[in-house]
Amino acid sequence: MTGTATVPAATTAPLTGKGQRPGRRIWSYWRFYLALSPFYVLFAVFGLYPMLSTIVLAFQRWDGLSARRFTGLGNFEFLVQDPTFWTALENTIVLFFMSTVPTLVIALLLAVMLQSAVRFTNVYRIAYFIPNVTSLVAMAIFFSSIFSTNFGLVNAALRSLGIPQQDWLGQPWGIKIAISTMIVWQWVGYNTLIYLAGLQAIPKEQYEAAKVDGAGPVRTLFSITLPQLRPVILFTVVISTIGGLQTFTEPQVMVGNSGGTGQSGMTVVLLFYRTAFLDNDYGYAAAIALSIFLLVLLFTAINWRIFRGRSDDR
Amino acid sequence: MELSRRTLLGGFAAVAGGTLVGCSSGMDTGSTAKKNTTTELTMWCWPGGLGKSVIDDTIAHFPDPKIKYSEIGGDFKQKLVTTFNGGTGIPDITGIKGEDIASLLPQASRFVDLKSVGADSVLGDYLEWKVNQATTLDGKVIGLPIDVGPTGLFYREDIFAAAGLPSDPAKVADQLKTWDDYFAAGVQLKAKNPKALLVWDATDLYDMVVGQGTERYISKDNKFIGDQDHIRKAWDTSVKAMTMKIDGKTPSGSPDWNAGLDQGTIPTHIGAAWVALDIKSAVKTSAGKWRLAPTPSGPANFGGSFLAITKNAADPQKAFDVIKYMLSADNEAKAFADAQIFPSAPAAYDKPELKAADKFFGGQVPIDVFGPAAKAIPVAYQSPYDDSVAAPFHDELKTVQTGSKTSDAAWASAVSKAKAIAKRQGVQ
Repeated sequence: MTGTATVPAATTAPLTGKGQRPGRRIWSYWRFYLALSPFYVLFAVFGLYPMLSTIVLAFQRWDGLSARRFTGLGNFEFLVQDPTFWTALENTIVLFFMSTVPTLVIALLLAVMLQSAVRFTNVYRIAYFIPNVTSLVAMAIFFSSIFSTNFGLVNAALRSLGIPQQDWLGQPWGIKIAISTMIVWQWVGYNTLIYLAGLQAIPKEQYEAAKVDGAGPVRTLFSITLPQLRPVILFTVVISTIGGLQTFTEPQVMVGNSGGTGQSGMTVVLLFYRTAFLDNDYGYAAAIALSIFLLVLLFTAINWRIFRGRSDDR
Repeated sequence: MELSRRTLLGGFAAVAGGTLVGCSSGMDTGSTAKKNTTTELTMWCWPGGLGKSVIDDTIAHFPDPKIKYSEIGGDFKQKLVTTFNGGTGIPDITGIKGEDIASLLPQASRFVDLKSVGADSVLGDYLEWKVNQATTLDGKVIGLPIDVGPTGLFYREDIFAAAGLPSDPAKVADQLKTWDDYFAAGVQLKAKNPKALLVWDATDLYDMVVGQGTERYISKDNKFIGDQDHIRKAWDTSVKAMTMKIDGKTPSGSPDWNAGLDQGTIPTHIGAAWVALDIKSAVKTSAGKWRLAPTPSGPANFGGSFLAITKNAADPQKAFDVIKYMLSADNEAKAFADAQIFPSAPAAYDKPELKAADKFFGGQVPIDVFGPAAKAIPVAYQSPYDDSVAAPFHDELKTVQTGSKTSDAAWASAVSKAKAIAKRQGVQ
């Protein structure tokens, strides 16, 4: 292997490089490629390989131990006919809206308020971020206690207001509210910090100009803050979409592998988990996993179209 | 320097090729199992699966080759399956959980048929229905039972007495013989004490009634029988508790269940012997007020695991001697004293470790209830696909409980979903 310094000497072609064979030129940078390679090697082993093997698996029947059998589109045929899959898809999308919309709206409002808060800003920032670094399983157990029927905090509050208590984790809508509340609680802080960083990047001059023109705080929010934040909002929406469509731990711990009453907490990823690791039907599970991939792709594309805006030339 | 589209695609192709190669190597069904080394006998189980003193004693008893015991936490079956696929580091002896045994029977070729290493002489020492769970249709036995989970009725003596119900265990056993008797007692209790609903969660009764029968969802000749009377009877029993309004709708193990045990709003629970541990850890004030009686309409079983020897074992005969020793009636009694592991060998039920009275149950001797129950559990064939086929029944029963579907509509939907799953798994 020749080093960079010896390359010109090793070739008879002119030093302009035009006559060099491209392969030679690439090899002369081997040290750089070597330095770059750890990420790509790890990605290939732990990212690309599993993804590609999932695609292969989606066309096979496999119980985890026996020989694999090729079944063509059999798994996908079952997928479109499986009522549980459609329930799970609907739940996932409903949960996604029930959790993402409040999360982002609350996060934006908190960020604007934190931006103008004068005292203890860092204390608030840390307080809002703590849920994000708390163990998800511990939190799910905690939330299922809060929403428990007879001895839960939520029902205690309802009773003290004279409203009859609800069987939160026993009713289809109650399960969805409990799960999305937990997601909102966990992700508001993270998004607040992202928005806060975005807000600090907006030039002060624009606000001063708006003030001179006589704009009030609401007008400023809609005419300056939001348009300027657009790329940041796109980022949070995309990240929330990817995370929100893969909701798993919350329903799994709160209502179990069955998805709870009326399978109301059954998300697509939970169905995937149940199919693969409880029913040992890995081929069908891989088909479900591919459907999640397509779903995330579709939603991300939609978000991209909406939030990129027409006037934005990038 | 730039990564052209062509090189990138080439790279993808190379990796995809690797994937296919990887798959084909995964097609090895284990018929050519590599033998483990003879210098060490490796054993896998999950935390709390075997008694600590029994493990220590067994390791001391078999010095050559040295037994290397590993406690595998997390999803045990998944880790075992992954190791089988990897082909190296497979243990000589492994535990198999009761809920996984049916799905591992088709993989019998990866395990040593215990009859080939002399199990015939000891199989009679264990509960027949339990050995049956680890026996393939063509008669191979892949596991020796560690423990079983016979069910019993746990009830609050003080609450029964206050409602004018019999409170002495013998009298309760006498009066609550069938599900109908049990439900009638529930109605009487509710009339006296409106807060105390006898059934903690009616959907739990469904699996109990299925477990009391001799048939499940799929017959031995691989036919779907989940739409027949024996399953419908279990369904109707559960629905009956709901319509009689004695259903507390409180899933066991939930915070409400834990609190309700002490508060008297959950006066009974029917569960396996090991549920005693859950109740004991959940309650504070009601310790000593609980009693035990037989399950109405007969016992069922929940849980209970096995020890199996893999084809990779260097010396299957030696490995069998080890598990035979570990699971002798004496050692099973020790494991019970150690970690409440309920013995699968009936001879252990007469050992002093099991004959101890329990203050939590007001000095009652639990084995007097669970021992006869363990012996009376019916033999039922469980197909590898039993659990997947059962799932829609559980899901749909919950919709009846919340009142969003009528019993008949939910039943029809459960049967059609179950049939689709069964058909997919190749069941007729």
